[in-house]
Amino acid sequence: MSDFLLIVIFAAAAILGYKIISEVPSLLHTPLMSGMNALSGITVVGALAATAGAVTLGSRLLGFVAIVFATINVVGGFAVTHRMLKMFRSGGGGN
Amino acid sequence: MSLLLLLLVAVILYGIRLMSSPKTAVRGNALGALAMLGAVLLTLTSEGILTYPILWAGLAVGTVLGYFAAVKVLMIQMPQMVAVFNGLGGGASALVGLILAFQGEGSSAFAAFATGLAIVVGALTFSGSAVAAGKLHGLLKQRPVELPYHSTIVGIVIALTALALIPAPSMTVGLVQLCLALVFGILLTMRVGGADMPITISLLNSLSGAAGAVAGFPLKNPLLVAVGGIVGASGLILTQIMCRAMNRSLISILTGRTTVRSRELPAVPQADKETSEAPAHQVGTTWQEALQTAERVVIIPGYGLALSQAQWKLKELIDLLEAQGRQVKIGIHPVAGRMPGHMNVLLAEADVSYDHLHELEDTNEMLPETDVAIVIGANDVVNPAAIEQPNTPIYGMPIIRADLAKHVLVLNYDTNPGYAGVPNPLYDAEHASLLLGDAKESLEAVIAWLKSREEPTVDAAASLEQEAETFRAARMLAGAQSVIIVPGYGMALASAQLQVKQIADCLQERGADVKIAIHPVAGRMPGHMNVLLAEVDIPYDLLYDLDVINDQFGSTDVALVVGANDVVNPAAQTAEGTPIYGMPVLNVHEARQVVVCNLDRSPGYAGVPNSLYDMPHCLFVPGSASQTLADILTALRQFI
Repeated sequence: MSDFLLIVIFAAAAILGYKIISEVPSLLHTPLMSGMNALSGITVVGALAATAGAVTLGSRLLGFVAIVFATINVVGGFAVTHRMLKMFRSGGGGN
Repeated sequence: MSLLLLLLVAVILYGIRLMSSPKTAVRGNALGALAMLGAVLLTLTSEGILTYPILWAGLAVGTVLGYFAAVKVLMIQMPQMVAVFNGLGGGASALVGLILAFQGEGSSAFAAFATGLAIVVGALTFSGSAVAAGKLHGLLKQRPVELPYHSTIVGIVIALTALALIPAPSMTVGLVQLCLALVFGILLTMRVGGADMPITISLLNSLSGAAGAVAGFPLKNPLLVAVGGIVGASGLILTQIMCRAMNRSLISILTGRTTVRSRELPAVPQADKETSEAPAHQVGTTWQEALQTAERVVIIPGYGLALSQAQWKLKELIDLLEAQGRQVKIGIHPVAGRMPGHMNVLLAEADVSYDHLHELEDTNEMLPETDVAIVIGANDVVNPAAIEQPNTPIYGMPIIRADLAKHVLVLNYDTNPGYAGVPNPLYDAEHASLLLGDAKESLEAVIAWLKSREEPTVDAAASLEQEAETFRAARMLAGAQSVIIVPGYGMALASAQLQVKQIADCLQERGADVKIAIHPVAGRMPGHMNVLLAEVDIPYDLLYDLDVINDQFGSTDVALVVGANDVVNPAAQTAEGTPIYGMPVLNVHEARQVVVCNLDRSPGYAGVPNSLYDMPHCLFVPGSASQTLADILTALRQFI
């Protein structure tokens, strides 16, 4: 995949994301942020590839740590978002 | 392969789209998680690295740690938890960059540059988030910390970092980049504090996405690039919204120029205050007098509410005010609290319906018509100095105009200036009253006063209502040809099995068909209900198992639930993603009428609110089951 194509993908994703995310009401900003936060753990994919390709022991250890970090980010992020979203309830309820 | 990647990105985008309504957001989040799982599996297979134990070990350790952190964290600690997760994501990207640098990889100059950038952005996200989390958790001082020549030092570090990005990646270069960026992250966030945190957190969120995206370039991984880009964009939007809401530029936040240093505190221009036009305020009234007659109340919460964890007390106040026939609305300033939407989460936690919540503009339109504005732990966001005093740092920031209400009740900890360091003239306004101290205690005081005002009526009404409920329940039962009783653990706790037996007998004497439905997991052990009912001599042929009786609820006049919750919760069939989803439940809601005798309306053991309670054909009688059933029995005997 060429560098140019990657830049196009980056720009397209950012613009598309920007449009969709603008629709999210302020009510849900914290869950949105924490959900996006979980998504930022996508770097786990990079960590997996880099670790598998690492040659030295040092690099492999770094890679292991990177995978752990990113996975905490992903799993924790989605779980925390889920916990929060479950609390949101509309009128009819409660009273 | 590329098609699959495209599909994953599409699923993620669709998931985010679902996040725009609270009704679909849970599903959206689940979709995101699913897509992420897909991305990991796809990477493992397509790279042919499925069998590397070190990868699986890392995934397993991370999953366990992440899951436990997410489950254990208290809602109050959410901002710092988000910051920590965020920092870890950035850290991971930096490490990925570092591995690539160690290998000297970088087929093109572009890839080499991207590798360095991943290290820098990732590391600065990591250390910045660590400082932010430390401040939010109270481990570090909340107020901005500034070194001598801070801006100069930052400038030098930025210049050095930029220089370090030029040479081709190698171990030394990578480590230098890492160290510089870590320092940069600390320098950047140590100057930011307190109320500016929502902006900082949004920015760090954006950076963690950017770090991932840049790491994707040397790895030639389009998924990383795309998703990183989306996250980066979302963080930018939030940062923008937060900045606009505070009328600040990102630069002024990052350079710590948003608070007044004590030596340059502007003298409060007393004269100014006198001359400002005074609308039809209720001058000189006490809050008691104001609240007594208030019809429209607007509540404006701030970080103080979060600090004192008073959201449940606030919910109580809202319910009480509404029960007394007053209209209650809640005005949310976009930067109230420590992260975007902080107040919304807090209030959702306490089960305040989001229909109550209004954004800044709406709130400001309502305020002139408002009888009492109650400010709880909010300061700068309601400080009229933002409009009246051009020489203050908050001048021009949009505020909620609590001062426009006919009366303002301020429940703040003290009268010290807020985070921005600008004294709040609202405290001295003639139509304002102050209740200082911990928000929870002040709210308790207001609630107690409201209750005491109406004690005789309130109590009588409550007991009348209670009586009416048991009475209504008895009337329903008296008119029923068929009744199914559904016992649960609450019956065991209240030892109400004898009353169940008496009611069953009484109904049968009247010729009604009485059955008892037993859910396999009702109670705390298998067959728990059967034992209890056997104890009071209820014949076991009255007892029916779930699968036998479930079809019969539809043709039943009254279902009487005694201390059962999760096992009769219709949400198990509809509320995807809840812990009870898919669990077989008794179809109590299909009965023509339902009477529920549970202690209170709080969710059962699974923590999922019971949608049965709010159905129109359901009568909820709160209280201990033995007492409630005894009352119903007394009333029932009068009917017969």
